[in-house]
Amino acid sequence: MSFLDIDKVSFTYPGWPPVVRSVDWSIAEGEFHCLVGRSGCGKTTLLKLAAGLLHPHAGSIRLQAQEVVAPGPQLGFVFQSPTLLEWHRVIDNVLLPVSLQHKPTAQEVEKAQQLLALLGLSAHAQHYPRQLSGGQQSRVALARALILEPALLLLDEPFAALDAITRGELQDDLLHMCRLRRTTVLFVTHDIAEAVYLGDRVAVMDSGRIVQDIRVEVSKPRAPAIRYGATFNLHCAQVRDAMDMATL
Amino acid sequence: MKLTSARTQFCSWALLLALLAGWELASRGSGVSALVLPAPSAVTKALWTGLSTGYLWPHIRTTGLELVLGLFTGCSIGFISGVAMAESALLQRVLKPYVVVSQVIPKLALAPLFIVWFGFGMTSTVVITALICFFPLMENTVTSLQQVDPQRLELFRMLGATRRQTLLRLKLPSGLPGILAGLRVAVVLALVGAVVGEFIGASQGLGALIIASQGMMDTPLMFAVLFVIAALGLLLYQVTLAVEKRLLLPYTRIS
Repeated sequence: MSFLDIDKVSFTYPGWPPVVRSVDWSIAEGEFHCLVGRSGCGKTTLLKLAAGLLHPHAGSIRLQAQEVVAPGPQLGFVFQSPTLLEWHRVIDNVLLPVSLQHKPTAQEVEKAQQLLALLGLSAHAQHYPRQLSGGQQSRVALARALILEPALLLLDEPFAALDAITRGELQDDLLHMCRLRRTTVLFVTHDIAEAVYLGDRVAVMDSGRIVQDIRVEVSKPRAPAIRYGATFNLHCAQVRDAMDMATL
Repeated sequence: MKLTSARTQFCSWALLLALLAGWELASRGSGVSALVLPAPSAVTKALWTGLSTGYLWPHIRTTGLELVLGLFTGCSIGFISGVAMAESALLQRVLKPYVVVSQVIPKLALAPLFIVWFGFGMTSTVVITALICFFPLMENTVTSLQQVDPQRLELFRMLGATRRQTLLRLKLPSGLPGILAGLRVAVVLALVGAVVGEFIGASQGLGALIIASQGMMDTPLMFAVLFVIAALGLLLYQVTLAVEKRLLLPYTRIS
């Protein structure tokens, strides 16, 4: 039994052709999967289906053998933009998932501080989001998604707007945080190198279908140096081919 | 030349002095009657007499009180109905036509009716002022609450926030800049409402005093009252700006 089971799922926005067509996918516990595809191929919709923000018109999605009906604390979600609340300090932004349930306890505040420290943001806890750089804001969004220690983390192109160096740092941070907690991850991106660097498995998506399933055989834990290795580039080429094939 | 803020400020004060001097010279030299255009010195004298003898103060108090009461009532109703209409599409569809009708009728055309209903005096003016303030606040509240970033709304859904939490912790704070901009417009309009309301329906207040000074052919007094009204408006506007700046500090501070 896998951790997340996507079973023959289809989805259509009213008045449009289907966005997700009969997708099958499963993620084992603790694995890091990436979903790549061109813009508009349905990958964000699939992610929202997995989160329970949308409901499939056919098929089913099960998390730990339970049907996903509504979003909940068992999963963390990171959006394309950091979506921080600029009227709250950084620490209160991280604690938002908690404070919507109850007043944060001293323990929970301590945990938020630790998360910020892990991401190198201790000094900014009392600042407002506007005072932070784009990369720092993305880190705060990551901390916010992790504060409830979700078993499943869903990310929707969270680093797309960052420069290459900051993106690389954040990718390493993300891998590190998820390894510490053995978090299961589904990561949506349009960046092939990002998908291969992060993923244990890469799903290539095109016009609503998953057209290729690639297992990445690169040693773990990943370090920036592997980006220049032959295996890494081989996998990138493989993903690229799959995307090109799909378009033809 | 670098335009520092001190320098531009100096320039605008210098311009004011030059204008006043020109006005003084023109009204002395040209032989235009003081009934038509009194010299600034005569206006200053009228203003000083009015303030020092205490003649102006009750009028300033009355207008100030009407302003505050009208502003408070109008803005409260505007804010609450704005929130209600933003939250309920049904309510918005039902109420919108009435709100628009209440705004396309010139409020001053309603003044005679208000005098019949509420009597001659303060209540009528407060009602007119409130009616004028109500609209910008309601419009801005509705628009600001409906323009919340959809990703943030999804975030709140993800986190299992209730409707009340989404309103209080997401929509209102993120709409605050827009709502405060509406308040700024309301403050300026409120002064117009109060003064013009007094033209028609009051015997006390700065607006009533302008009508009275017209009757007494006391043009210097009329100018003095205009000056007081301008000062009152500026003061109120600056206070609103200061409050706005303070409240929006986290939204604007960058470093």
